[in-house]
Amino acid sequence: MSAQAVPASRDTTRPLPFLAAVRGVFRLALEGMLWSRRSVLMAILLGLPIAFALLYRGLPIAHLPAKITGFDLYAVIIARYYVRNLLPLAALFYATSLIADEVEGRTLTYLLTRPLPRPAILAGKFAAYVTTTLAMTLPSVVITFFLLATAPGASGIGAEVPELFRDMGVVALTLVAYGGLFTLMGVLLRRPVIPGLLFLFVWELIVNLPGYLPRFTLTAWLRSLLHHQPAEEGLGGLLATQILPAGEALAVLLGTSALFLALSFWIFAQREYVLEQ
Amino acid sequence: MSRSRQVVFIAVAVVGLGSLVGVGAFFLDPARAAVGPLPAEGLLLPADSRFVVGLDVKRFTASPFYQKFRSQARPDALRELEERTGLNPERDVDQVLIAGQATKGAGPGLAVVLGSFDTYKLGQSIETGKQKAAGRNFQGFTEFVFNEGGPEAMAVAFIDRQALLIGRQAAVEAALQGRASGAAPLRTNATLMALLERVKPGSTFWMVGDQSLLQNLPGTVPSPAGNGAAIELPALRSLIVTGDLEPVVSLAITGDAADPAAAKNLANIVSGFVSLVALQASQKPELKDLAQAVSVATDQSRVLVNARVPYEVLEALQPKREAIKPPALAP
Repeated sequence: MSAQAVPASRDTTRPLPFLAAVRGVFRLALEGMLWSRRSVLMAILLGLPIAFALLYRGLPIAHLPAKITGFDLYAVIIARYYVRNLLPLAALFYATSLIADEVEGRTLTYLLTRPLPRPAILAGKFAAYVTTTLAMTLPSVVITFFLLATAPGASGIGAEVPELFRDMGVVALTLVAYGGLFTLMGVLLRRPVIPGLLFLFVWELIVNLPGYLPRFTLTAWLRSLLHHQPAEEGLGGLLATQILPAGEALAVLLGTSALFLALSFWIFAQREYVLEQ
Repeated sequence: MSRSRQVVFIAVAVVGLGSLVGVGAFFLDPARAAVGPLPAEGLLLPADSRFVVGLDVKRFTASPFYQKFRSQARPDALRELEERTGLNPERDVDQVLIAGQATKGAGPGLAVVLGSFDTYKLGQSIETGKQKAAGRNFQGFTEFVFNEGGPEAMAVAFIDRQALLIGRQAAVEAALQGRASGAAPLRTNATLMALLERVKPGSTFWMVGDQSLLQNLPGTVPSPAGNGAAIELPALRSLIVTGDLEPVVSLAITGDAADPAAAKNLANIVSGFVSLVALQASQKPELKDLAQAVSVATDQSRVLVNARVPYEVLEALQPKREAIKPPALAP
């Protein structure tokens, strides 16, 4: 009988290393997040611009000398549809539910009783949120760009390509910045969706006001990073759009995202969750 | 591979492929040299230009503004172009870019006209036109020179079937030399390049100018008090103007002042003039709408003036034509 080497078993009294714990939670959360009804709805909403671009390409008007070019439409989609409306909404629905869903479903206990550092749980879930939303958004942005920018012909598209990369960066930053904020709301509040909606569609409207106030919104900083500045209609059009310095905008967005996430980790690590029976 | 990983893998593949195609297009497309609203051909404009103006002719001619004011507002430059070259700007021209010196005696600037041109017909019309000019080859490009040998010799050159150069012979030939050697003279003008990058893309017309453009502007304006006093205007370092003609006539002017205080001072002066216009509303009510259409703001050392004037207001501001009276009958 030959003696086989028994692998040294892990000391289960000590928590898993941080990165290993993050990886484990990430895999679990990604599976649950991608294959949810929420993701189906988001995939439809995020894919709408592709359907619109296909329709535009199919229409004969796309081949005529147009007053608004395909690239102009792409600019409106990025600035108004994605960055201003849909991505913050996607961040709200995903990021607020990172912990709130576990509390609601009374499954948080199973996670917290595992030998995992608490910040690793939130970090893994946040990474899964970013991966899920980016996996749905970026392909949609790329396909929409090529469909609309090449509508009158592929000539000249090279000059527009830097905008695509810039837009992809801003899209990612939008998801991270709003994701950080709504993760904080998710760990702080029991019902974070209504305050989140109020933040998005009431507070963020001050971006259109003159003076210093727009600096207290995330939209103003994100908008400043985009080169697309489609004309505003209605009341917003009467007021001058404030474009803040791009370097400052990048620093503010990265700083606030880091701050929101650090606060979220700290609160989640400290807080005692009492689940309803 | 789990389903989730497959989804992420497909997303990464789509983004990666799109990025590769984009990078390929960026390096292979000749238009890659464009800066802001300026296409690659615009970089042939002289390096010592003090201002650059762009007009999207297609958007301009399609606008309600052009349709309404066609008979009165057709720019002289385009009419002159048509007279000289037989070119129909409405049909053939997409974009016009003009660069100039803005100093006395500098003469007309250099214009790059982009569109689709029948170079054979165009060359013929130039050769048989009123001001005859013989075509010749210059550095591999066809060039027509008017008043050759004279102090103000003008030239038209075909870069290709999509681009023309018009201006002083010396400026046109310098641009052609730049084109032949693959140079981009305007790119060396760091001031204008920085300003061009700030121009909102997709505007019907735009203009950027450095401080030398503004040196010719008056340094003072008469005080509204009317007692002979004058208000000193703070100096501007640069100016960016963009405009659109649809759905309303909109104009955005950004002036860079020396510091925030100077910007605020200038903004107050502009606001004061807007208020003066509003005060005239009792005599001419449409001036109230005009004053309301203008907003003035500052952002650090920048002065931002925005105007969005509906066509109804523009029409109301037009001088009323008197009804034609029938001639009085002789008794």
